[in-house]
Amino acid sequence: MSYEVTIEPLGETIEVEDDQTILDAALRAGIWLPHACCHGLCATCKVDVVDGEVEQGDASPFALMDFERDEGKCLACCATPTSDLVIEADIEEDADAEVHPVEDYAGVVVAIEALTPTAKSVIVELDRELKFQAGQYVNLHLPEIGQTRAFSLANSPSEKRRVELQIRHIPGGEATSFVHQQLKVGDKVDITGPYGRFFVRRSADADALFLACGTGISSPKSMILDLLEQGDDRNIKLFHGARNQTELYDRDLFEQLAADFKNFRYTPVLSQPNGDQTWEGAVGYVQDVAQSHLENDFRGHQAYLCGSPNMIDSAITVLMQGRLFERDIYFEKFISAADAAQQSQRSPLFKSI
Amino acid sequence: MSAKKLGLREKYSKMTRDLSWEPSYQPMEKIYPQTEMEGLKIEDWDKWEDPFRLTMDAYWKYQAEKERKLYAIIEAFAQNNGQLNVTDARYINALKLFLNGVSPLEYAAHRGFAMAGRQLPGVGAQVACQMQSVDELRHVQTQVHTISHYNKYFNGLDDFRHKHDNVWYLSVPKSFFDDAMTAGPFEFITAISFSFEYVLTNLLFMPFMSGAAYNGDMATVTFGFSAQSDEARHMTLGLEVIKFMLEQHPDNVPIVQRWIDKWFWRGYRLLSLVSMMMDYMLPKKVMSWKEAWEMYFVQNGGALFEDLARYGIRMPKYWEQTVAGMDHLSHQTWNTFYTHNHAAAFHTWMPEEDEMQWLASKYPESFDKYYRPRWEHYKKLEEEGKDFSNPSLPMLCQTCQIPMFYTEADDPTTISYRVSEYKGDKYHTCSDGCKDIFDHEPEKYIQAWLPVHQIFQGNCGGGSLEEVLDWYRLNQGVENVKYHLSEDFSNWKKWKGLDPETESDDEPRQVSNG
Repeated sequence: MSYEVTIEPLGETIEVEDDQTILDAALRAGIWLPHACCHGLCATCKVDVVDGEVEQGDASPFALMDFERDEGKCLACCATPTSDLVIEADIEEDADAEVHPVEDYAGVVVAIEALTPTAKSVIVELDRELKFQAGQYVNLHLPEIGQTRAFSLANSPSEKRRVELQIRHIPGGEATSFVHQQLKVGDKVDITGPYGRFFVRRSADADALFLACGTGISSPKSMILDLLEQGDDRNIKLFHGARNQTELYDRDLFEQLAADFKNFRYTPVLSQPNGDQTWEGAVGYVQDVAQSHLENDFRGHQAYLCGSPNMIDSAITVLMQGRLFERDIYFEKFISAADAAQQSQRSPLFKSI
Repeated sequence: MSAKKLGLREKYSKMTRDLSWEPSYQPMEKIYPQTEMEGLKIEDWDKWEDPFRLTMDAYWKYQAEKERKLYAIIEAFAQNNGQLNVTDARYINALKLFLNGVSPLEYAAHRGFAMAGRQLPGVGAQVACQMQSVDELRHVQTQVHTISHYNKYFNGLDDFRHKHDNVWYLSVPKSFFDDAMTAGPFEFITAISFSFEYVLTNLLFMPFMSGAAYNGDMATVTFGFSAQSDEARHMTLGLEVIKFMLEQHPDNVPIVQRWIDKWFWRGYRLLSLVSMMMDYMLPKKVMSWKEAWEMYFVQNGGALFEDLARYGIRMPKYWEQTVAGMDHLSHQTWNTFYTHNHAAAFHTWMPEEDEMQWLASKYPESFDKYYRPRWEHYKKLEEEGKDFSNPSLPMLCQTCQIPMFYTEADDPTTISYRVSEYKGDKYHTCSDGCKDIFDHEPEKYIQAWLPVHQIFQGNCGGGSLEEVLDWYRLNQGVENVKYHLSEDFSNWKKWKGLDPETESDDEPRQVSNG
């Protein structure tokens, strides 16, 4: 038995298993709720239950007062739902977030293009328009193997019927192996979405800095196309990292954009050119190249990071050394059960980093 | 379309930040004269993120209910003679130390946060400090109720204000807070909210509260629960203020690092009192000091400093020495109090054999080798009726005011002491940490009110020990004796029917307090 819990003011709905606390389910679903002690004493995770019923669990009578229980408050770290719920948490509603309902779409693969030896671009035509915010992702259902995987949308939101997914082959990965080895034009696939809270904070008066590695370029590609189409005149800086020239893709597209828009700057970076004489561009890790190009001063930017957990971790350190802090750093983070267990070892200094 | 309901954040903002105003006829630096004296650079107060969103009206409502619950339990505890349910009367001595040493610090914190709130120009910080100031006042009040109750039955709790201000070992906690309060507002918050309430809080709270729970003191346990819901707020304030300072300007990093170094070391020295509470004073032990330091500082603190490293902050200076000292701290501290019991307002004792075994198992590297032989010698003297006392006055550290009894981090047989010269005079400190603190602000620390110096200067009632103890208002022969000779012990035996030679009273009799 599980319950649906809607978290306001985000409007996100998550599934909470029987005997699972609201906090645990939210963190696993990638939604950060304020919390600290995680065992009902400190009251940091107090939320309003707007609709539905909860079991209060081990909430301390000093952390959750009687009058608060009467008013319909609960501690997310202890409370378990006994019905579907709507809760309101002390989190920010982001003025830049667009709300697009999650729906199921039927799609047909209309093109598959090899971007590099290890990455393919898959274009899916949908049965109707999918409205999304640049940076969001969808779940791709592969009926043949009964698997579902999440992929960022690489196309601009203005392209609503044909969506692009950039899919890297993970050796031994069932779903990506299927896509790379068996999926063909004309196959039917189902898509659910859009999901995610990774998007450009346009209301901020700041330059946009994108640091992406490999197929991590898919969300920034959508975000950058969208910004430029909308005539956004802030400075946009893209650093795209790849191992070598064979693994670098969409270079022509970004070079053309850089020629057409003077507020867009594109810097491809290779980490292992291995004596490639034809490469005259930057060499190193994206975050280090960005650091030297911007002379270790990231102030006045908002940074969007897409890459492996290690790359994101190093990039955050580099950005902070250059005086850019948590409130201006965004990245898509999926918290697995293992990550959530590890998180308890961490200090509460940062909310999401 | 109906008006949109205010989100929690907006509601908070309307009730706090929007209450602020721009001064029109006085410049900011005149209204907040302490903002720049510490050398910090604050570029934008709007970047202060309120770590919790609680408005004053809600605050009063919460605290009122907490008070109702707490006092109901304290009342029930008193009516049921709850003091008889503690493990044994030795436990009360941990309370005596805490209530005389730490409870007045809650009052000092109340004053300190009121001052910090007045001096910080940002309204978010002002509100946070105001609430914490009121919290601390509430905490000291509830602890005074505990003092009031236990004072009816046990010695050493009758004059906590006077003792806190005068008695030699209580100058350690007192001077810690005085040092913080006489710094600027940012250093004060770094000292108290970050270093003490965040980095070291578990080491203070855990032995006190869990110790109370393990030893049957439900009045104190309930106070602990009531306070912990405030402490979470205080800790978050500590983290926010650190992030705020570090993010405002790169020049702030070395200043903040120095404060962290200083207040970590000051806090660690203060916690030596806690170490002996954990290892010696709780009849039923929670965990050893060494285990607590490993868990709460080395592991949890380590995780925090890994995160702080992104800001360019490293582990507090000399933290390695605290790890090296884990095996010795509590034993050396207890030894000092045992041998100076005649000048202390609580009782000491030598551990029983099963406690010695516990200590040996928790401190395999040090206990049997360095401390057990000494304890066995003291015990033998006790049995011969020749309890050992050290009648001399110890030299105190100019910074932490603790007698210079700690040994070198790498050699438990050599007393550690350091010397600095300032304006032609020599000043002694107990460690590299305390020496660094002194050397950075010698003008501040040469003014320290050091109890032993004051005695020698004739400012403490007279030249003899007896006169000084009278001046401390220490009930001699009653409060300041070893536990096995104390009135607390003989009363306890009577009340609990443990002494076959005396008739057990039905009613606990209140002791007479000098």
